[in-house]
Amino acid sequence: MYLQKKLQKLLKPLVQPFFAVLIGIITGAVAIAIVGEPILDTYIVMWNGAFGNFYFLTSTLARATPILLVGLGVALAFRAGVFNLGGEGQMVLGAVSAALAALYFPGPPAVKLVAALIAGMLAGGLWALLAGWMESRFKVQLLISTLLMNYVAILFASYLVAEPFQDRSGSAALAQTPMIEQGAWLPKLFTGMSVHMGFVIAVFCALLLVIILRFTTSGYEVKMLGLNPFFAEYGGVNKVKVLLLSMFFSGALAGLAGTVEVLGTQYRYVDGFLTAPGFAWTGLMAALLANSNPLGTAVAAILLAALQTGAMGMERNTEVPLEVASVIQAVLILFVSAKFTINWWKLRKKEGDVSGTV
Amino acid sequence: MANLLEMKGMSKKYGEFLANDGVSISVGKGEVLAIVGENGAGKTTLMKMLYGLEQPSSGQILLNGKPVTFSGPLDAIANGIGMVHQHFMLFHDFSVAENIVIGHEPKKFGFFKRNDAVRSVNQIAEQFRINVSPTKKAGDCSVGEQQRIEILKVLYQGADIIILDEPTAVLTPFEVDELLKTIRFLADQGKSIILITHKLREVMKVADRVTVLRNGKVTGSVSKTETTSDQLAQMMVGRKLQKLNERDNLDGDTLLKIKGITMASKGEKPLLDKVSLTVRHGEILGVAGVSGNGQSELIQAISGLSLVNEGRILLKGNDLTDQPVEARRAAGLSHIPEDRYLWGAAKDATVEETGLMGSQRKPEYNNRSFIQKRAFRSTVKEWINRFEIKASSLEEKSGNLSGGNLQKLIVARELAFKTPFLIAAEPTRGVDIGAMEYIHDALIEKRNSGDGILLVSSELSEILALSDRIIVLYEGKIVGELERKDANEERLSVLMAGGIENVPTKKTSETS
Ligand SMILES: Nc1ncnc2c1ncn2[C@@H]1O[C@H](COP(=O)(O)OP(=O)(O)OP(=O)(O)O)[C@@H](O)[C@H]1O
Ligand SMILES: [Mg+2]
Repeated sequence: MYLQKKLQKLLKPLVQPFFAVLIGIITGAVAIAIVGEPILDTYIVMWNGAFGNFYFLTSTLARATPILLVGLGVALAFRAGVFNLGGEGQMVLGAVSAALAALYFPGPPAVKLVAALIAGMLAGGLWALLAGWMESRFKVQLLISTLLMNYVAILFASYLVAEPFQDRSGSAALAQTPMIEQGAWLPKLFTGMSVHMGFVIAVFCALLLVIILRFTTSGYEVKMLGLNPFFAEYGGVNKVKVLLLSMFFSGALAGLAGTVEVLGTQYRYVDGFLTAPGFAWTGLMAALLANSNPLGTAVAAILLAALQTGAMGMERNTEVPLEVASVIQAVLILFVSAKFTINWWKLRKKEGDVSGTV
Repeated sequence: MANLLEMKGMSKKYGEFLANDGVSISVGKGEVLAIVGENGAGKTTLMKMLYGLEQPSSGQILLNGKPVTFSGPLDAIANGIGMVHQHFMLFHDFSVAENIVIGHEPKKFGFFKRNDAVRSVNQIAEQFRINVSPTKKAGDCSVGEQQRIEILKVLYQGADIIILDEPTAVLTPFEVDELLKTIRFLADQGKSIILITHKLREVMKVADRVTVLRNGKVTGSVSKTETTSDQLAQMMVGRKLQKLNERDNLDGDTLLKIKGITMASKGEKPLLDKVSLTVRHGEILGVAGVSGNGQSELIQAISGLSLVNEGRILLKGNDLTDQPVEARRAAGLSHIPEDRYLWGAAKDATVEETGLMGSQRKPEYNNRSFIQKRAFRSTVKEWINRFEIKASSLEEKSGNLSGGNLQKLIVARELAFKTPFLIAAEPTRGVDIGAMEYIHDALIEKRNSGDGILLVSSELSEILALSDRIIVLYEGKIVGELERKDANEERLSVLMAGGIENVPTKKTSETS
């Protein structure tokens, strides 16, 4: 009886994302049927493309790594009651800073690795902190500032790798940094497989976040600020401090996402390699799907990554176009945003014209 | 008299918890039925089932003898049942008339006919003698006015049965009397009213019949003429209530000193105007006044939720004027807030989390920034026992507690800080008479132990029962101060109206 209750509590946050994914899959089935392909077979191919053998499984996990980390960042900000839509910019700044630190920080490779990790998190964190500061000081809405600051960060990073720090060793002048020396790479978990140490770091962060939110004073204050900022203020929680800290760590997680991509996959910063696959937005979706529950976010990140790798497998092996995955994703977005708008609307109605953040 | 509405054997289960257990009530045409009972007795739950907000686990609703089921409030409204919620659901930027006709707007070719709306609102207001100004913005209306808007909305929708859930909890004494008159008038016009309240005086004044609930069951259903308020009280709590005894003056040292605080937004009339006061150790200072005359601002200024423009706030000699909330609490202040849902709790937080607020950094419950849940849980359990808080578990969402039980939780939390100074704003709003006695006792015990309390209440009886000294706020100024022995309801009412006799306690109409 007691065990059953515990189990229920543990599973409850997972119910909603699975429900959403189920609806997504049903819609996908309709799309596949319209294309005129067998539904079940196509899904089996897709499943195999994501989890079919050890190689595909590890590729899925590799892809999930940055998604999971940005997702955690978004989830943290959400818990504190604010939107951090700046994951992409924070991620890019983190990645480019990490690459530069790994290239130019003096010392042996291991030191370079550590310096890169710290630089990546700091860059992402400070960038988010700037937005948080503008909100608490000048009431610039985070929703808007974080979003707009993405453009600044992305263009700035492009400039860095197209001009001062461009790799000029090869014949073609690509917009990328030189390659980092091998000793400063994050090791692969299995030889020949793409999943790297970054995945372990990401899972560790998810667990850490669970522990912080559930068992520590700061986690409690973050949560209460998110649930009712007036209550938090009344109880003596320093709203500004908690907001700024949450934003910093939210950005740091996004920065870390970019960092592990640099140190574990590309070994250099390549212009657009983080923005083109839309990691940050998928991460946002993972967090929303899981209702900002860190473990749920981890599961959702892996599911969404699987959807993408699976779709690639599907395109390789069947006549169904890659876009079916986009259809499923679109349904998920709809599901998430509908739920979200409803909650937000309820909150608005409850609190009258109070903005609901700080 | 034939019964217009009958609810038979209504039960409602929340998980394992039985909130209503075979409850039956009936209301006739033109009758006022009062439902009374302790916090968490299941009154609101019963009304939610009647209004279609909750589905009964079992039971039957009969309208004019015919069984009906409501899948939502729209169904209930279509069947002539209306409910005035305690938290008003008005659109603040819309006019009063627009708020009333919303959902059933008079239209021509799909266009909203504003003048028709105003006309029909005027007509219905006249018919039922309810006073509103249709063109005013709803957001500019006083609490009492907003409630009248809600009532008119329900009438406009054609309700024959009107549910009022604790309608008087938020009103000033004058507004309460007006509302009771309105209720009586509506009943005389043939409407049926179901009134939920904790105030037996109101029950004795307007009700025709009274149904008492306890622990989800009906413990009695009597006609008003055959009962007394003492008997009702006994049915509600199952024991006799005691009267508060007189006490000695303690003559303590100064605890809180406030010197000339002013609070104003630019270019507007100040909300607090050079207010100075002192609270001594072992003293309860009562603050009386019609709500909206600066009480909220005074509370917020002292507790640190808003900053003052001028003046000083000193607690035990420490200057707190520019200190944040946390420092003030550390300096020895605790605070029962006036609005429990806005300030006092987070609805989606658990009972445990709600209780933890303010203690999360206390060494008893904190070990290297990890919260000591076990130690804290046993504390909350003590509160739950001591104040008889009805909560199914510590994991229950505090928003699921009945209003009075949440209030008790908040009171327990703030008393547990054992600070020398306490702000008690509407400490018994919405709690049943048994719990009210308990909270009053706890406040007096705190006072007798040498602590000081600033009591802000819109209940004159509460102020008179508890205070050693009473100040009256009017338009942000202190307009009078009375010692306990000199205070009575008449003198206070005069001061609350601004010091001039025979002026009704209303101040909103001309200002906007
Ligand atoms: N959604 C819910 N889930 C679980 N329990 C609930 C829920 N709503 C109410 N309860 C429980 O049902 C009981 C009855 O609640 P109800 O709100 O009907 O009390 P009430 O008589 O209106 O009390 P009060 O006078 O304090 O307003 C309470 O113990 C409450 O905790
Ligand atoms: Mg109630």
